[in-house]
Amino acid sequence: MMSVPGLRLIGAASRMVPFLRREAWRREWEAEAAYAWQRMTADGRATLLPRIRLVLRVSMCVVDAFWEMKETMSFSGLFQDLRFAVRTLLRYPAFTAVAVVTLALGIGANTAVFTLVDGVLLRPLPFPESDRLLSLQHLGRDGQDELPISEGLYLVYQDQATSLEGVAMHSSTVVNLVGDGEPERVPAQAVTPGFFEVLGVEAALGRTFVEEEGVPDAERVVILSDGLWRSTFGGDPDIVGRTVDMSGVSRRVVGIMPPDFGHPDRQARLWLPRIVDPAEAPLAAFGAGGVARMAPGSTIESVDAEIQGLITRLPELFPQDGEAAFLAEVGLRARIRPLKQAVVGEVSTTLWILLGTVGFVLLIACANVANLLLVRAEGRQRELALRVAVGAGRTQVLRTFMSESAVLAAAGGALGVVAASLAVRTSARFIPSDLPRMAEVGMDGRVLAFTAAVSVGCAVFFGLFPLVRYGSDDLVSHLKDGGAHGATGGRDRHRLRNGLVVVQVAMALVLLVGSGLMFQSFLALRSVDPGFDGERVLTARISVPPGEIEGWQETAGFFRQLQERLAAQPGVLGAGTTSRVPLTGHSSFGTMEVEDHPRAEGELPIFAAHSRAEVGYFETMGIPLVEGRTFRAGDGAEGSRAVVVDESFAREWWPASSAIGRRVRGGPEGEDWWQIVGVVGDVHQSSLEEEPRNTLYWPLTLGLAEDPFPARTLDVVVKTSAHPLPFVSVLRRELQALNPRIPLANPRTLDDVFRAATGRTSFTMAMLGAASGIALLLGLIGIYGAISYVVSQRTREIGVRMALGASGSLVQGMVVRQGLLLAAGGVAVGLVAAGLLSSFMGSLLYGVSATDPVTYGGVAIALVGVAVLASWLPARRAAGVDPSRALRAD
Amino acid sequence: MGKLFSLTYPTAAVLLAIRHGHRYGFDVMDATGLPDGTVYPILRRLERRGVLEGAWEDEAIARAEHRPARRYYRLTPLGEGAMSEVLERFPALVRLFGTEAEPA
Repeated sequence: MMSVPGLRLIGAASRMVPFLRREAWRREWEAEAAYAWQRMTADGRATLLPRIRLVLRVSMCVVDAFWEMKETMSFSGLFQDLRFAVRTLLRYPAFTAVAVVTLALGIGANTAVFTLVDGVLLRPLPFPESDRLLSLQHLGRDGQDELPISEGLYLVYQDQATSLEGVAMHSSTVVNLVGDGEPERVPAQAVTPGFFEVLGVEAALGRTFVEEEGVPDAERVVILSDGLWRSTFGGDPDIVGRTVDMSGVSRRVVGIMPPDFGHPDRQARLWLPRIVDPAEAPLAAFGAGGVARMAPGSTIESVDAEIQGLITRLPELFPQDGEAAFLAEVGLRARIRPLKQAVVGEVSTTLWILLGTVGFVLLIACANVANLLLVRAEGRQRELALRVAVGAGRTQVLRTFMSESAVLAAAGGALGVVAASLAVRTSARFIPSDLPRMAEVGMDGRVLAFTAAVSVGCAVFFGLFPLVRYGSDDLVSHLKDGGAHGATGGRDRHRLRNGLVVVQVAMALVLLVGSGLMFQSFLALRSVDPGFDGERVLTARISVPPGEIEGWQETAGFFRQLQERLAAQPGVLGAGTTSRVPLTGHSSFGTMEVEDHPRAEGELPIFAAHSRAEVGYFETMGIPLVEGRTFRAGDGAEGSRAVVVDESFAREWWPASSAIGRRVRGGPEGEDWWQIVGVVGDVHQSSLEEEPRNTLYWPLTLGLAEDPFPARTLDVVVKTSAHPLPFVSVLRRELQALNPRIPLANPRTLDDVFRAATGRTSFTMAMLGAASGIALLLGLIGIYGAISYVVSQRTREIGVRMALGASGSLVQGMVVRQGLLLAAGGVAVGLVAAGLLSSFMGSLLYGVSATDPVTYGGVAIALVGVAVLASWLPARRAAGVDPSRALRAD
Repeated sequence: MGKLFSLTYPTAAVLLAIRHGHRYGFDVMDATGLPDGTVYPILRRLERRGVLEGAWEDEAIARAEHRPARRYYRLTPLGEGAMSEVLERFPALVRLFGTEAEPA
């Protein structure tokens, strides 16, 4: 039998029905629907028309449910109260619009940021029992070096650590996928077979890897991501079991992962087994990320203690291995963190600060609405007095206030959710691309629950002020008096509102200081000299699979040929090749030796960043030559072992003399000594914030026939005389002409690279800037409103003063002084608060202190200026008061 | 004591339908021809005022017919008392259901 139509609607509508009656209500409707359906289908065929009539009839349950809801509410009078509140608010459209929009701004901003915070920080990782997942990393030289995990350590932990249920390694790699069209360069992860089991995920189709696939000489297999499966293989389920050509190797597809799987990031579009040979697994080659699942009952502390113990015992476990001794020398320590913490990383500070910021904005918005409500409550004294006169009790008057607050908060919340969903959708473009877990971010029930809670909080917050104001026992007598407390209307009446304005100004100041500091950081970061001139320089990554071109000489020849072809194009000023252009990731970092400075006993080894560069690289990048020469053709070959170093390296080892002619060894080149032929300017290799590290540039073609890993993945750089982006097509064409099966990846200008490097700072700055802009505007409205109101209340007093001879400017000064006093109070409180809170921002700042006096002073002066402006407008009105009129008016 | 409910045409029709044995919500809709959306609110209001009372049909019957038990409505003594007014004010309605009333 087909299912009864409309059951789902009945279920949904039943939510409107008060809880106590809900179950019976739902059963009644379901039974009626089922009965009608049964009778209709009894003879085996139900024609369309009766069927539609039944659906329509069942849909009337909504009307019934609404009636039930309304009836219960009116039973408690709530419905009438709310209806009355809506009607009252609609009678003051300007007030209502300002209040609702103010609240929508505050609630919307909070909803949007909470959506981010919830998706990125609060929600557990999308793996079963994800609190048992750990990230395994290491620290060397007292935390100076952050090291991931090595194959050797992976095997040790897997075999010996009883506090871990499983350990896995993963590292990024790239695969060339040659399909029908242009070859595709597909980001991939090489993972040990247990990777999926450690995370607790299973394939959507087929299976994940098995242990035997992670050993040398195993069958070559691959697991596809859902995205790649759909885009490249048309979602064909029969692909499992077939072989696919990848980077010149045939691999059998064994599984397809579910669409929401992506670890450690969502870039990977396929997974290959990482082959670990226990006979050759090096202990000290830290080249892969490590994840582990704790055994039930273990804690991070117990894992940390066990791993630390294993590291200490390494020289004893591997007495013959020089690397074990080396690790002991560098003081290797384990760094065990919850996996979520490692995935989220530094972003958490930014997000929490953002949430705090929009929280402030909401408080300011609430203070504004509270102030508006207070002002309006005073304007309504006659109306309220009338209601009291016709018999309304105290509770009833207070209920009026509360229901108006509730309606305002509900409207603000609803509008805020709409604003937030728009904001989340549009801001996706501005969020720095390296923000983790972005794919998991979205508005859902949790976010809506948060918004509802925030809205209720708002209603209580600003609904409370009229309660405090009128909640005293003498309300009725007070209102019966008509609130005639002299012309200025009582001192304490203003105190509450003035207090609100002071708090608003203080919070606006805190936000402005925050965004001011971020702005200065941004400027400082922008003005950092990266060490190269990226103007009109195009870069792209090219990787040559061993299946296409074998041997190191042919590979190097291919790159050299490409570079020559590019340099010969019209409009090209220079071309070069390097292992990795600056600011696009961490450069490789390793030990080395300096001939003049043999390492003393107990001394730590020398570390330096290693980069490779082809002839023409330095010139194309505009990296200045300080001394000697840059590379030229033939460097690197036997007999011409030439290396270029940067200034900081030269200065560190030969502060008083020239580095030219000195010899070093280490890095990728083996046992020969290499001669320094040139010194170039320092370049920020990994980030603008980090000081340039000592860097050695090796010639791209090392000229070592035995080099088992020739440089196959390189960045080309091309400097053009016009805008470089249109040149991408030329680059692609030239590459195709050389070898059509080698793809081009990630073409972009160096300006883009630079912009991406300042992305997080500019994002934080923009968010804080927007928040503080709103705060400033709201604060301005707050001061203006408060002073305007005081002026309107004091019209009679001002009239008297002017009748007695006070000049317009004297009155104006008096009013402005009052505004100034409020602002000064707010600024004083705000400066203290900003000083205390800004320390949280420390890690986000660059080139500016968290207590920078210029920022604080500037913001304080600006706020006072704004306050003067906001009170000057009503002051002018006050000065224009006509005494005779003011005195005649009531 | 004031009036229990305002006796409108739809209310009278619902009361009469129930009096004539159309005791379930959907049956009342069919019998009276009132718009589907108006019948349940009337039933609810009358039940709340004590004119009608609702009860669940015998589980055994429903189970035998492989469907959930329905909820039916019948007149309370108060409702029976109100019938005279219905008959008096809406004599034409009575013809709709026939004069012979079978007690619920």
